[in-house]
Amino acid sequence: MSSAAYLPVLIFAVISVLFVLVSFFVSALLRPTKREPLKETTYECGEVPIGDTRIQFHFQYYMFALIFVIADVLTVFLALWAFNFSAGFTPVNILMFVFTGLLVAVVLYALKKEEIIWI
Amino acid sequence: MTCAWASRTGDTLINYLYYIPNTIATAILSLLHINLPQLNYLLTWVIASVMLIIVIMVNVIIFIYVERKELGRFMDRRGPFVVGPAGFFQNFADAFKFLIKEMILPENADALGFNSTLVIIVASSLMIMTVVPQAPDFFYTNPDLGLLLAFAIFAIEPFAVVIAGWASNNKYSLLGGFRSTAQMMSYEVPMLITIISVVILAGSFNFSTIVNFQSSHVWFVIPLILGFIVFLIAIVAEIERIPFDTPDAEAELVHGWMTEYAGIKFALFQLTSYVRTFAGAAIMVLIFLGGWTGPFLPPIVWFYIKVYAVFTLFVWLRASLPRVRIDQVLNIGWRSLLPLSLFNIVIAALLRISGVFH
Repeated sequence: MSSAAYLPVLIFAVISVLFVLVSFFVSALLRPTKREPLKETTYECGEVPIGDTRIQFHFQYYMFALIFVIADVLTVFLALWAFNFSAGFTPVNILMFVFTGLLVAVVLYALKKEEIIWI
Repeated sequence: MTCAWASRTGDTLINYLYYIPNTIATAILSLLHINLPQLNYLLTWVIASVMLIIVIMVNVIIFIYVERKELGRFMDRRGPFVVGPAGFFQNFADAFKFLIKEMILPENADALGFNSTLVIIVASSLMIMTVVPQAPDFFYTNPDLGLLLAFAIFAIEPFAVVIAGWASNNKYSLLGGFRSTAQMMSYEVPMLITIISVVILAGSFNFSTIVNFQSSHVWFVIPLILGFIVFLIAIVAEIERIPFDTPDAEAELVHGWMTEYAGIKFALFQLTSYVRTFAGAAIMVLIFLGGWTGPFLPPIVWFYIKVYAVFTLFVWLRASLPRVRIDQVLNIGWRSLLPLSLFNIVIAALLRISGVFH
Protein backbone atom coordinates (compact mmCIF):
# COMPACT_ATOMS: atom_id res chain seq x y z
CA MET A 1 0.00 0.00 0.00
CA SER A 2 2.75 2.42 0.92
CA SER A 3 4.61 2.19 -2.40
CA ALA A 4 1.35 2.11 -4.39
CA ALA A 5 0.77 5.76 -3.51
CA TYR A 6 4.06 6.84 -5.06
CA LEU A 7 3.90 5.05 -8.42
CA PRO A 8 1.24 7.41 -9.92
CA VAL A 9 3.65 10.31 -9.35
CA LEU A 10 6.04 8.68 -11.83
CA ILE A 11 3.23 8.26 -14.37
CA PHE A 12 2.39 11.93 -13.90
CA ALA A 13 6.06 12.83 -14.49
CA VAL A 14 5.94 11.17 -17.91
CA ILE A 15 2.64 12.90 -18.77
CA SER A 16 3.94 16.31 -17.70
CA VAL A 17 7.04 15.90 -19.89
CA LEU A 18 4.71 14.97 -22.74
CA PHE A 19 2.65 18.11 -21.98
CA VAL A 20 5.71 20.27 -22.61
CA LEU A 21 6.57 18.42 -25.82
CA VAL A 22 2.99 18.70 -27.10
CA SER A 23 2.97 22.44 -26.48
CA PHE A 24 6.25 22.69 -28.44
CA PHE A 25 4.66 20.71 -31.25
CA VAL A 26 1.52 22.89 -31.36
CA SER A 27 3.71 25.98 -31.43
CA ALA A 28 5.83 24.47 -34.23
CA LEU A 29 2.69 24.07 -36.34
CA LEU A 30 1.74 27.74 -35.93
CA ARG A 31 4.90 29.76 -35.71
CA PRO A 32 7.09 31.04 -38.55
CA THR A 33 10.75 30.08 -38.83
CA LYS A 34 12.97 32.59 -40.57
CA ARG A 35 16.48 32.18 -39.31
CA GLU A 36 18.64 35.26 -39.49
CA PRO A 37 22.06 35.70 -37.87
CA LEU A 38 21.05 39.04 -36.38
CA LYS A 39 18.13 37.52 -34.50
CA GLU A 40 20.31 34.94 -32.88
CA THR A 41 22.75 37.32 -31.27
CA THR A 42 22.88 37.31 -27.50
CA TYR A 43 20.50 39.88 -26.05
CA GLU A 44 22.20 42.63 -24.12
CA CYS A 45 19.80 45.53 -24.61
CA GLY A 46 21.06 46.27 -28.12
CA GLU A 47 24.76 46.33 -27.29
CA VAL A 48 27.19 43.92 -28.88
CA PRO A 49 28.30 41.58 -26.07
CA ILE A 50 31.89 42.15 -24.99
CA GLY A 51 33.86 39.05 -24.08
CA ASP A 52 32.74 35.56 -23.32
CA THR A 53 30.02 34.77 -20.79
CA ARG A 54 31.57 31.56 -19.61
CA ILE A 55 34.55 33.06 -17.85
CA GLN A 56 35.68 32.01 -14.40
CA PHE A 57 33.17 33.49 -12.00
CA HIS A 58 33.79 34.42 -8.42
CA PHE A 59 31.88 31.59 -6.84
CA GLN A 60 30.18 33.79 -4.34
CA TYR A 61 28.29 31.24 -2.39
CA TYR A 62 30.95 28.66 -1.70
CA MET A 63 31.08 29.46 2.01
CA PHE A 64 27.40 29.82 1.99
CA ALA A 65 26.89 26.39 0.39
CA LEU A 66 28.89 24.88 3.25
CA ILE A 67 26.61 26.60 5.78
CA PHE A 68 23.64 25.31 3.79
CA VAL A 69 24.93 21.73 4.11
CA ILE A 70 25.15 22.09 7.90
CA ALA A 71 21.65 23.53 8.11
CA ASP A 72 20.28 20.86 5.79
CA VAL A 73 21.76 18.04 7.87
CA LEU A 74 20.15 19.67 10.89
CA THR A 75 16.85 19.70 9.02
CA VAL A 76 17.07 15.99 8.21
CA PHE A 77 17.70 15.08 11.84
CA LEU A 78 14.93 17.40 13.00
CA ALA A 79 12.51 15.78 10.54
CA LEU A 80 13.29 12.30 11.85
CA TRP A 81 12.95 13.52 15.43
CA ALA A 82 9.67 15.31 14.72
CA PHE A 83 8.15 12.27 13.05
CA ASN A 84 8.75 10.11 16.15
CA PHE A 85 8.17 12.86 18.67
CA SER A 86 7.38 11.61 22.17
CA ALA A 87 6.13 14.04 24.75
CA GLY A 88 7.98 14.63 27.99
CA PHE A 89 11.53 15.57 28.87
CA THR A 90 13.00 12.35 27.55
CA PRO A 91 16.76 12.03 26.91
CA VAL A 92 16.06 12.15 23.16
CA ASN A 93 14.40 15.54 23.38
CA ILE A 94 17.12 17.00 25.58
CA LEU A 95 19.84 15.61 23.26
CA MET A 96 18.03 17.05 20.25
CA PHE A 97 17.85 20.50 21.81
CA VAL A 98 21.56 20.36 22.66
CA PHE A 99 22.40 19.21 19.13
CA THR A 100 20.25 21.91 17.55
CA GLY A 101 21.78 24.53 19.81
CA LEU A 102 25.31 23.45 18.87
CA LEU A 103 24.63 23.55 15.14
CA VAL A 104 22.85 26.90 15.40
CA ALA A 105 25.80 28.34 17.30
CA VAL A 106 28.09 27.06 14.53
CA VAL A 107 25.91 28.51 11.77
CA LEU A 108 25.59 31.88 13.49
CA TYR A 109 29.35 32.04 14.09
CA ALA A 110 30.03 31.23 10.44
CA LEU A 111 27.55 33.88 9.33
CA LYS A 112 29.16 36.41 11.66
CA LYS A 113 32.59 35.71 10.18
CA GLU A 114 31.18 35.86 6.64
CA GLU A 115 29.90 39.40 6.84
CA ILE A 116 29.32 39.96 3.13
CA ILE A 117 27.48 36.94 1.79
CA TRP A 118 26.69 38.44 -1.61
CA ILE A 119 28.31 41.26 -3.52
CA MET B 1 -9.77 21.39 22.84
CA THR B 2 -13.04 21.61 21.04
CA CYS B 3 -13.28 22.59 17.45
CA ALA B 4 -15.46 25.18 15.79
CA TRP B 5 -14.99 23.77 12.30
CA ALA B 6 -16.92 20.65 11.48
CA SER B 7 -14.85 17.80 10.18
CA ARG B 8 -16.09 16.67 6.81
CA THR B 9 -13.47 14.05 6.28
CA GLY B 10 -14.10 10.37 6.09
CA ASP B 11 -12.82 7.28 4.38
CA THR B 12 -16.12 6.40 2.73
CA LEU B 13 -15.97 9.31 0.28
CA ILE B 14 -15.31 8.68 -3.41
CA ASN B 15 -12.11 10.18 -4.75
CA TYR B 16 -13.35 11.77 -7.97
CA LEU B 17 -9.86 12.19 -9.38
CA TYR B 18 -9.55 8.39 -9.26
CA TYR B 19 -13.16 7.30 -9.73
CA ILE B 20 -13.90 9.17 -12.99
CA PRO B 21 -10.68 8.09 -14.79
CA ASN B 22 -11.15 4.54 -13.58
CA THR B 23 -14.70 4.48 -14.97
CA ILE B 24 -13.53 5.87 -18.31
CA ALA B 25 -10.61 3.43 -18.50
CA THR B 26 -12.81 0.45 -17.66
CA ALA B 27 -15.36 1.53 -20.26
CA ILE B 28 -12.73 1.92 -22.98
CA LEU B 29 -11.12 -1.43 -22.21
CA SER B 30 -14.45 -3.27 -22.09
CA LEU B 31 -15.38 -1.75 -25.48
CA LEU B 32 -12.12 -3.09 -26.90
CA HIS B 33 -12.63 -6.47 -25.13
CA ILE B 34 -9.28 -6.25 -23.37
CA ASN B 35 -9.00 -7.69 -19.88
CA LEU B 36 -5.65 -6.59 -18.53
CA PRO B 37 -5.54 -5.15 -14.98
CA GLN B 38 -2.11 -3.56 -15.62
CA LEU B 39 -3.38 -1.73 -18.69
CA ASN B 40 -6.44 -0.60 -16.76
CA TYR B 41 -4.18 0.75 -14.00
CA LEU B 42 -1.95 2.58 -16.48
CA LEU B 43 -4.84 4.04 -18.47
CA THR B 44 -6.59 5.16 -15.27
CA TRP B 45 -3.59 7.08 -14.04
CA VAL B 46 -2.86 8.56 -17.46
CA ILE B 47 -6.41 9.94 -17.64
CA ALA B 48 -6.13 11.12 -14.03
CA SER B 49 -2.87 12.91 -14.90
CA VAL B 50 -4.48 14.69 -17.82
CA MET B 51 -7.40 15.67 -15.59
CA LEU B 52 -5.04 17.04 -12.95
CA ILE B 53 -3.13 19.04 -15.56
CA ILE B 54 -6.44 20.51 -16.78
CA VAL B 55 -7.40 21.43 -13.19
CA ILE B 56 -4.03 23.12 -12.69
CA MET B 57 -4.28 24.98 -16.01
CA VAL B 58 -7.78 26.27 -15.28
CA ASN B 59 -6.58 27.54 -11.91
CA VAL B 60 -3.52 29.17 -13.47
CA ILE B 61 -5.71 31.00 -16.00
CA ILE B 62 -7.98 32.25 -13.21
CA PHE B 63 -4.92 33.17 -11.10
CA ILE B 64 -3.45 35.32 -13.85
CA TYR B 65 -6.81 37.02 -14.43
CA VAL B 66 -7.35 37.61 -10.69
CA GLU B 67 -3.82 38.96 -10.32
CA ARG B 68 -4.24 41.40 -13.20
CA LYS B 69 -7.59 42.63 -11.95
CA GLU B 70 -6.46 42.97 -8.35
CA LEU B 71 -3.19 44.64 -9.30
CA GLY B 72 -5.22 47.02 -11.41
CA ARG B 73 -7.40 47.90 -8.45
CA PHE B 74 -4.36 48.31 -6.17
CA MET B 75 -2.83 50.70 -8.72
CA ASP B 76 -6.08 52.60 -9.23
CA ARG B 77 -6.79 51.36 -12.75
CA ARG B 78 -9.14 48.78 -14.17
CA GLY B 79 -6.99 45.93 -15.36
CA PRO B 80 -7.83 44.07 -18.60
CA PHE B 81 -11.37 44.76 -19.85
CA VAL B 82 -11.37 44.63 -23.65
CA VAL B 83 -11.18 40.96 -24.65
CA GLY B 84 -14.17 38.89 -23.56
CA PRO B 85 -16.49 39.52 -20.58
CA ALA B 86 -14.63 41.83 -18.14
CA GLY B 87 -11.41 41.04 -19.97
CA PHE B 88 -11.39 37.38 -19.00
CA PHE B 89 -10.13 36.18 -22.39
CA GLN B 90 -7.09 38.46 -22.31
CA ASN B 91 -5.00 35.51 -21.05
CA PHE B 92 -6.07 33.35 -23.95
CA ALA B 93 -5.16 36.11 -26.38
CA ASP B 94 -1.74 36.43 -24.76
CA ALA B 95 -1.20 32.68 -24.76
CA PHE B 96 -2.07 32.49 -28.46
CA LYS B 97 0.30 35.32 -29.20
CA PHE B 98 3.11 33.47 -27.42
CA LEU B 99 2.20 30.34 -29.35
CA ILE B 100 2.71 31.95 -32.76
CA LYS B 101 5.99 33.66 -31.84
CA GLU B 102 9.18 32.43 -33.43
CA MET B 103 11.44 30.24 -31.31
CA ILE B 104 15.04 31.45 -31.26
CA LEU B 105 18.12 29.60 -30.10
CA PRO B 106 20.74 32.24 -29.30
CA GLU B 107 24.20 31.85 -30.80
CA ASN B 108 26.73 29.86 -28.77
CA ALA B 109 23.92 28.57 -26.54
CA ASP B 110 24.06 24.97 -25.46
CA ALA B 111 20.96 23.52 -27.14
CA LEU B 112 20.68 20.49 -24.88
CA GLY B 113 20.95 22.48 -21.66
CA PHE B 114 18.80 25.28 -23.04
CA ASN B 115 15.86 23.03 -23.91
CA SER B 116 16.07 20.17 -21.42
CA THR B 117 16.10 22.48 -18.40
CA LEU B 118 12.83 23.95 -19.62
CA VAL B 119 11.27 20.49 -19.60
CA ILE B 120 12.64 19.77 -16.12
CA ILE B 121 11.42 23.06 -14.68
CA VAL B 122 7.89 22.81 -16.09
CA ALA B 123 7.45 19.10 -15.38
CA SER B 124 8.78 19.28 -11.82
CA SER B 125 6.58 22.26 -11.04
CA LEU B 126 3.50 20.49 -12.33
CA MET B 127 4.46 17.41 -10.30
CA ILE B 128 4.18 19.25 -6.97
CA MET B 129 0.39 19.21 -7.21
CA THR B 130 0.24 15.41 -7.53
CA VAL B 131 0.97 14.94 -3.84
CA VAL B 132 -1.06 17.92 -2.63
CA PRO B 133 -4.65 16.83 -1.92
CA GLN B 134 -7.36 19.39 -2.64
CA ALA B 135 -10.23 17.76 -0.76
CA PRO B 136 -10.89 14.36 0.83
CA ASP B 137 -12.81 13.49 -2.34
CA PHE B 138 -10.46 15.16 -4.80
CA PHE B 139 -6.79 14.19 -4.74
CA TYR B 140 -4.35 12.54 -7.09
CA THR B 141 -2.36 10.54 -4.57
CA ASN B 142 -2.08 10.95 -0.84
CA PRO B 143 1.16 9.24 0.23
CA ASP B 144 2.27 8.98 3.85
CA LEU B 145 5.22 11.30 3.25
CA GLY B 146 3.27 13.75 1.08
CA LEU B 147 4.54 16.92 2.74
CA LEU B 148 8.17 15.81 2.47
CA LEU B 149 7.74 14.69 -1.14
CA ALA B 150 6.08 17.98 -2.09
CA PHE B 151 9.07 19.95 -0.84
CA ALA B 152 11.51 17.48 -2.40
CA ILE B 153 9.88 18.13 -5.79
CA PHE B 154 9.77 21.85 -5.01
CA ALA B 155 13.55 21.86 -4.60
CA ILE B 156 14.33 20.39 -8.05
CA GLU B 157 13.89 23.70 -9.88
CA PRO B 158 16.99 25.69 -8.74
CA PHE B 159 19.37 23.12 -10.23
CA ALA B 160 17.66 23.40 -13.60
CA VAL B 161 17.60 27.19 -13.29
CA VAL B 162 21.34 27.53 -12.82
CA ILE B 163 21.93 25.21 -15.80
CA ALA B 164 19.46 27.27 -17.88
CA GLY B 165 21.35 30.44 -16.99
CA TRP B 166 24.67 28.86 -17.92
CA ALA B 167 23.41 27.30 -21.15
CA SER B 168 21.85 30.43 -22.65
CA ASN B 169 25.25 32.16 -22.87
CA ASN B 170 23.99 35.49 -21.61
CA LYS B 171 25.48 37.39 -18.71
CA TYR B 172 22.09 38.44 -17.39
CA SER B 173 20.84 34.86 -17.51
CA LEU B 174 23.89 33.56 -15.70
CA LEU B 175 23.59 36.14 -12.92
CA GLY B 176 19.89 35.42 -12.62
CA GLY B 177 20.53 31.69 -12.38
CA PHE B 178 23.13 32.18 -9.65
CA ARG B 179 20.86 34.49 -7.73
CA SER B 180 17.93 32.11 -8.02
CA THR B 181 19.93 29.19 -6.68
CA ALA B 182 21.36 31.22 -3.81
CA GLN B 183 17.92 32.51 -2.86
CA MET B 184 16.28 29.09 -3.02
CA MET B 185 19.08 27.62 -0.93
CA SER B 186 18.78 30.20 1.82
CA TYR B 187 15.02 29.98 2.08
CA GLU B 188 14.85 26.19 1.86
CA VAL B 189 16.16 25.79 5.41
CA PRO B 190 13.74 28.08 7.32
CA MET B 191 10.84 26.71 5.30
CA LEU B 192 11.68 23.08 6.05
CA ILE B 193 12.27 23.84 9.73
CA THR B 194 8.87 25.54 9.88
CA ILE B 195 7.08 22.55 8.37
CA ILE B 196 8.91 20.35 10.89
CA SER B 197 7.24 22.34 13.67
CA VAL B 198 3.91 21.48 12.07
CA VAL B 199 4.94 17.84 11.94
CA ILE B 200 5.84 17.89 15.64
CA LEU B 201 2.30 19.00 16.49
CA ALA B 202 0.46 16.78 14.01
CA GLY B 203 2.79 13.79 14.21
CA SER B 204 2.62 12.96 10.52
CA PHE B 205 3.88 14.00 7.10
CA ASN B 206 0.53 13.10 5.53
CA PHE B 207 -1.57 16.06 4.43
CA SER B 208 -4.90 14.45 5.36
CA THR B 209 -3.69 13.63 8.86
CA ILE B 210 -2.43 17.19 9.34
CA VAL B 211 -5.75 18.66 8.17
CA ASN B 212 -7.78 16.26 10.31
CA PHE B 213 -5.65 17.13 13.32
CA GLN B 214 -6.27 20.84 12.74
CA SER B 215 -9.96 20.15 12.30
CA SER B 216 -10.15 18.36 15.66
CA HIS B 217 -7.89 20.82 17.49
CA VAL B 218 -7.19 24.31 16.14
CA TRP B 219 -5.73 25.79 12.96
CA PHE B 220 -1.95 25.76 13.27
CA VAL B 221 -1.82 29.44 12.38
CA ILE B 222 -2.93 30.21 15.95
CA PRO B 223 -0.33 28.33 18.03
CA LEU B 224 2.39 28.70 15.40
CA ILE B 225 1.79 32.30 14.31
CA LEU B 226 5.54 32.89 14.20
CA GLY B 227 6.00 29.86 11.97
CA PHE B 228 3.20 31.08 9.72
CA ILE B 229 4.93 34.42 9.20
CA VAL B 230 8.28 32.72 8.52
CA PHE B 231 6.62 30.31 6.12
CA LEU B 232 4.80 33.13 4.31
CA ILE B 233 8.04 35.04 3.73
CA ALA B 234 9.93 31.87 2.76
CA ILE B 235 7.28 30.68 0.32
CA VAL B 236 7.11 34.09 -1.39
CA ALA B 237 10.89 33.89 -1.78
CA GLU B 238 10.74 30.31 -3.03
CA ILE B 239 8.18 31.05 -5.72
CA GLU B 240 10.14 34.20 -6.64
CA ARG B 241 7.39 36.74 -6.51
CA ILE B 242 7.83 40.43 -5.77
CA PRO B 243 9.25 41.55 -3.23
CA PHE B 244 11.69 38.63 -3.56
CA ASP B 245 11.92 38.34 -7.34
CA THR B 246 15.61 39.26 -7.51
CA PRO B 247 16.43 36.43 -9.97
CA ASP B 248 14.39 38.14 -12.68
CA ALA B 249 14.55 41.73 -11.51
CA GLU B 250 13.57 43.75 -14.57
CA ALA B 251 15.42 46.85 -13.45
CA GLU B 252 18.75 45.07 -12.96
CA LEU B 253 18.84 41.90 -15.08
CA VAL B 254 16.67 42.18 -18.17
CA HIS B 255 14.52 39.20 -17.28
CA GLY B 256 16.99 37.19 -15.25
CA TRP B 257 17.51 33.60 -16.31
CA MET B 258 14.51 33.79 -18.67
CA THR B 259 16.04 36.52 -20.86
CA GLU B 260 16.91 34.35 -23.86
CA TYR B 261 13.78 32.23 -23.85
CA ALA B 262 11.26 33.33 -26.46
CA GLY B 263 7.76 32.42 -27.58
CA ILE B 264 6.19 29.31 -26.14
CA LYS B 265 9.17 28.71 -23.86
CA PHE B 266 8.65 32.04 -22.14
CA ALA B 267 4.92 31.34 -21.87
CA LEU B 268 5.69 28.00 -20.21
CA PHE B 269 7.99 29.71 -17.71
CA GLN B 270 5.33 32.26 -16.83
CA LEU B 271 2.84 29.44 -16.43
CA THR B 272 5.31 27.56 -14.23
CA SER B 273 5.66 30.50 -11.89
CA TYR B 274 1.88 30.52 -11.41
CA VAL B 275 1.79 26.74 -10.96
CA ARG B 276 4.35 27.13 -8.19
CA THR B 277 2.30 29.95 -6.68
CA PHE B 278 -0.75 27.69 -6.70
CA ALA B 279 1.20 24.87 -5.08
CA GLY B 280 2.70 27.18 -2.48
CA ALA B 281 -0.67 28.67 -1.58
CA ALA B 282 -2.22 25.19 -1.44
CA ILE B 283 0.48 23.85 0.88
CA MET B 284 0.17 26.91 3.09
CA VAL B 285 -3.61 26.46 3.31
CA LEU B 286 -3.25 22.77 4.12
CA ILE B 287 -0.64 23.02 6.85
CA PHE B 288 -1.60 26.29 8.52
CA LEU B 289 -5.12 27.36 7.60
CA GLY B 290 -7.10 24.21 8.23
CA GLY B 291 -7.12 22.93 4.66
CA TRP B 292 -10.52 21.99 3.31
CA THR B 293 -12.41 22.12 6.62
CA GLY B 294 -15.14 24.67 7.11
CA PRO B 295 -18.85 24.92 7.76
CA PHE B 296 -21.77 24.51 5.30
CA LEU B 297 -19.88 24.44 2.01
CA PRO B 298 -18.31 21.35 0.41
CA PRO B 299 -14.59 20.79 1.23
CA ILE B 300 -13.34 21.59 -2.26
CA VAL B 301 -15.07 24.98 -2.18
CA TRP B 302 -13.48 25.82 1.15
CA PHE B 303 -10.10 24.76 -0.17
CA TYR B 304 -10.35 27.07 -3.15
CA ILE B 305 -11.73 29.97 -1.09
CA LYS B 306 -8.70 29.75 1.17
CA VAL B 307 -6.26 29.31 -1.72
CA TYR B 308 -7.61 32.39 -3.47
CA ALA B 309 -7.50 34.35 -0.21
CA VAL B 310 -3.82 33.44 0.19
CA PHE B 311 -3.20 34.34 -3.43
CA THR B 312 -4.82 37.73 -2.84
CA LEU B 313 -2.36 38.19 0.02
CA PHE B 314 0.50 37.45 -2.41
CA VAL B 315 -0.89 40.01 -4.86
CA TRP B 316 -1.22 42.52 -2.05
CA LEU B 317 2.43 42.00 -1.12
CA ARG B 318 3.37 42.44 -4.76
CA ALA B 319 1.39 45.64 -5.08
CA SER B 320 2.62 47.31 -1.91
CA LEU B 321 6.26 46.31 -1.37
CA PRO B 322 9.34 47.31 -3.36
CA ARG B 323 11.86 44.74 -4.53
CA VAL B 324 14.46 43.75 -1.95
CA ARG B 325 18.14 43.82 -2.91
CA ILE B 326 19.82 40.44 -3.36
CA ASP B 327 22.21 40.71 -0.40
CA GLN B 328 19.33 41.88 1.77
CA VAL B 329 17.29 38.87 0.63
CA LEU B 330 20.05 36.50 1.69
CA ASN B 331 20.62 38.33 4.96
CA ILE B 332 16.91 38.14 5.83
CA GLY B 333 16.91 34.43 5.06
CA TRP B 334 19.96 33.47 7.06
CA ARG B 335 20.12 35.98 9.88
CA SER B 336 16.44 36.55 10.67
CA LEU B 337 14.32 33.68 9.43
CA LEU B 338 16.61 30.83 10.50
CA PRO B 339 16.70 31.85 14.22
CA LEU B 340 12.97 32.65 14.12
CA SER B 341 12.12 29.25 12.62
CA LEU B 342 14.21 27.50 15.28
CA PHE B 343 12.49 29.52 17.98
CA ASN B 344 9.21 28.39 16.44
CA ILE B 345 10.28 24.75 16.64
CA VAL B 346 11.04 25.22 20.35
CA ILE B 347 7.53 26.64 20.81
CA ALA B 348 6.04 23.65 19.00
CA ALA B 349 8.08 21.16 21.06
CA LEU B 350 7.13 22.88 24.32
CA LEU B 351 3.44 22.89 23.33
CA ARG B 352 3.66 19.19 22.65
CA ILE B 353 5.71 18.39 25.80
CA SER B 354 3.42 20.38 28.05
CA GLY B 355 0.48 18.37 26.74
CA VAL B 356 -1.56 21.10 25.07
CA PHE B 357 -1.57 19.03 21.86
CA HIS B 358 -1.55 15.26 22.01
